[in-house]
Amino acid sequence: MARVAIEEGFFTVPDDPAEAPRLLGSKCQRCAEVFYPRRFVCARCLHEGTDDVLLGPRGELYTWTYVHVPLFAKKDGSVDAYGVGQIDLPEGPRVQAILVGGPGDFDIGMELELELESLGPDKEGREVVIYRFRAVSS
Amino acid sequence: MKIDGVAVAGAGMVRFGRYPDRSGADLAREAGLAALHDAGMTLADVDEAFVGYVQPASMIGIKAMKELGLTGLPVTHIENASATGLVAFREAAWAVASGRAEVAMAIGFDKMTEMGRGRGPSRGTGRDELDSTILPAAYFALWAQRRMHDYGTSVETFAAIAAKNWNHGALCPWSDRQPDHTVTVEEVLASRMVSTPLTAMMACPADDGAACVIVASTEWVKAHHPDRRLVRPASSTLRSESYSPGHTFLGPVVGPATMTRDTAQLAYEEAGLGPDDIHLAMCHDAFANEELEYYELLGFCPDGEGDKLVAEGATALGGRIPFNTDGGLIARGHPAGPTGLAMVHEVVQQLRGEAGARQVEGARTALAHLVGGGSICTVSLFEAD
Repeated sequence: MARVAIEEGFFTVPDDPAEAPRLLGSKCQRCAEVFYPRRFVCARCLHEGTDDVLLGPRGELYTWTYVHVPLFAKKDGSVDAYGVGQIDLPEGPRVQAILVGGPGDFDIGMELELELESLGPDKEGREVVIYRFRAVSS
Repeated sequence: MKIDGVAVAGAGMVRFGRYPDRSGADLAREAGLAALHDAGMTLADVDEAFVGYVQPASMIGIKAMKELGLTGLPVTHIENASATGLVAFREAAWAVASGRAEVAMAIGFDKMTEMGRGRGPSRGTGRDELDSTILPAAYFALWAQRRMHDYGTSVETFAAIAAKNWNHGALCPWSDRQPDHTVTVEEVLASRMVSTPLTAMMACPADDGAACVIVASTEWVKAHHPDRRLVRPASSTLRSESYSPGHTFLGPVVGPATMTRDTAQLAYEEAGLGPDDIHLAMCHDAFANEELEYYELLGFCPDGEGDKLVAEGATALGGRIPFNTDGGLIARGHPAGPTGLAMVHEVVQQLRGEAGARQVEGARTALAHLVGGGSICTVSLFEAD
């Protein structure tokens, strides 16, 4: 089944399901500050113009929580609890994302890797995916 | 800039809670009339009004104002998420301070119990879902978890702050939550887990409500209420985020934490006051761990020493710097639009010396702080004669 991002312009959806996705970021053409998600004006030096860059797929867990409320603000009753984290990417940005695992699986500072999760089919029958982070298996 | 020549003429509010049979405009009418009566005036005396609400509808503020009368006065809508009411107050205070108006009204109303109603179920497969994937509760829990990691803060400290605010609420007639017993740390910890480490009793309720504050020139207030202690806004500041590396752009954001520090610093400078001069404070305690952070960011203790204030009971009624004397967002409630105006309402009761069982003895100064998602921060300082 063809895979499609929940929202375009935020992350890659590789043709090969075994390949890790990357986040779509921007790098300032003047001061080289890196941002996620993409933007045109540099938030650091206000230069007008950034280059597209790919971020990740690995990062370090800055903080985490385990939410006991259904996913998507209670709209997805099939997921009644899930982990959420802030992940520092080596390129600079800190991103908030869903984490794979139970409440006892997370430690600040642990290394995580991006993967795609299926949210089910859209009206055209394509598989809608969102990114999340999983502990890097040693 | 210091606010000069402005005083509170009147304040009124509807007790926050759930009002399934009443419209937002109806709640606004009750709060607006209460403030007009407290000020001893009608809408004919009001030169300008600022209406705050966060509901996604474009005309309901100006329509709600009609419940108080149709006098042709200028009406402006204000929307700044959780901080909406306090930002409306700021605009009203400056409308008078600038000389543009002699009397200005800030009024807020909202029905959080009806937010999101009518939206169909979604598995998150629609567009623009990525930004709303993560709940605000999770955002504040992430902050709490990092705090515990950095400073060794215990979950009992968060629970003690929540219990304090529930117990303050029991003393406030306008508080949504008025427990009939002393709420304990154990009771807070035993309530349902929402997002590690935050439990349901550490979180504010979803409320309906309305609140209104009328400000006027000090001459007007002195002439009409010579026997009342004059309550004056000394400064009112508003800032959005300054960029720093590691800024989180996507998802719920109320930060970075330095935003509160910068906004408070500006408010102190403009008013010529410092944290040591403040007798009571109201802050954005949508979740209990926030209040702990704001003890430090508002300058009431050094970084990492907020836990000590909690252990000493310094921020409870009777302590050195009581916080959220009306129960705060956690107990008094948080309908969003009117929340900041309920804070000013409490400040007015306290500084007039009319706060009854929760009166802070000798209170002559107060601070009110809110953050709003997106995000912004606003801080107002008050002085009384």
